[in-house]
Amino acid sequence: MADDARKKEILEKLKNGVIQYDEDACKEGAQEAVDGGLDANEAIFDGLVAGMEEVGRLFEAQEYFVPEILMCADALYAGLDILKPHCQQMDLGLKGSVVIGTVEGDVHDIGKNLVKMMFDVAGFTVYDLGRDVPLDQFVEEQLRTDSDLVCLSAMMTTSMIGMPKIIEKIKAKNPNCMIMIGGAPTSKELADKWGADGYAEDASNALKEAIKMVSFLRKLREEKAAKK
Amino acid sequence: MGKAAVAVRTFSAASLKELLAREGATLVGVGDITEGLSREITHLNRGIALAVNRSLNRDTVDLLVRLERIAVKWLKERGFRSLAIPPDSDRINDKLIAKLYHLFSHKTAATCSGLGWIGKNGLIINETYGSKLSWATVLTDAPIEPDRPLTESQCGDCTLCVKHCPSGAVSGQSWSRGEPLKRLVNYEKCRSLKKVRPRFEEKPNCGLCITICPFSRNGHKQG
Repeated sequence: MADDARKKEILEKLKNGVIQYDEDACKEGAQEAVDGGLDANEAIFDGLVAGMEEVGRLFEAQEYFVPEILMCADALYAGLDILKPHCQQMDLGLKGSVVIGTVEGDVHDIGKNLVKMMFDVAGFTVYDLGRDVPLDQFVEEQLRTDSDLVCLSAMMTTSMIGMPKIIEKIKAKNPNCMIMIGGAPTSKELADKWGADGYAEDASNALKEAIKMVSFLRKLREEKAAKK
Repeated sequence: MGKAAVAVRTFSAASLKELLAREGATLVGVGDITEGLSREITHLNRGIALAVNRSLNRDTVDLLVRLERIAVKWLKERGFRSLAIPPDSDRINDKLIAKLYHLFSHKTAATCSGLGWIGKNGLIINETYGSKLSWATVLTDAPIEPDRPLTESQCGDCTLCVKHCPSGAVSGQSWSRGEPLKRLVNYEKCRSLKKVRPRFEEKPNCGLCITICPFSRNGHKQG
């Protein structure tokens, strides 16, 4: 795309569309990006994700609350759905697939859905098992898909206790698979004790961690582009 | 946007109400819904209740959704936040925000804005239109002057819906905001009708408690 000003305008529209949870603006911006021949990955990372980064900041500053976050996420998806088919696979040395779900006995999945969104954005193949997922299903799904990452979420202590069993089973069969746990009752100590590779205690932290991860990918992209 | 920095001064939403009425709303009210909001949405303590008379010959749900969008835009232009809770029959569940819809009931906004009370039939009854209205709510943090709430049932001694319910599901008790746990309708009994009369496939209700209500019949004439 030759016209830099136009490109900037579209990226700005996508970014603000996410921040102001304006689905129509995101759809419009995404369509303009596609029609104008803008690189879809660039539109996602420098438009939609840039917006989500700001949303994360607003949430931390207690300017935004859960409803706003969810509406921002819906706006992001509205744009992502249009851009996704035009994306080229990013070569980051990762296969990039993840199994994610809320464990058996738990139906709270707001945090899980936010993390899932950032994986979607990052171009991962996401196998979402949903909520109240039987423990063995995580193990089976990991084996079936050979995914790099498994994310387990639980909001309640009573459902969290199923986590170490899943971790143990997956690690026994596939030691290279990374496992992240999340939800209010989890902690770094528990993650360490159970052999999980990462943790996030609530939706905001999960979002923060996921944004960090995707921001890192964004940086990798930039570095790669700079080398060219 | 910092709320603490600005002194909260309420303002009248007369112009918004007029706009929505022009666009096809049958009723518009603003309720102070501070009490009883769940933690996730405590900052959105005004509920704009929107109602459309179902006897109007139009696609009610589409109209309600359009009205909500108008209200959201109006509020956004003035720097306020909002969360549109769609009509019950139009919940797109693949949206992330849909997780929060169940946190708020349209009945709360309707009673808090004085547009109706909860009848013996468990449904919102408006003085003019009875239970024949479809509802949607826009929650917002805009400090709009609230309308006067209704906190007690206005059904009086009328027991038509109790007598005519084919499943005997209506208990006949009167609603009061102070007694939220009172069980007005036995919904299992209400749903059981589906088994007896399979043609009521989609909704659990036969609607007799709506049509029999004197207030609803009143509304029908007006439509």
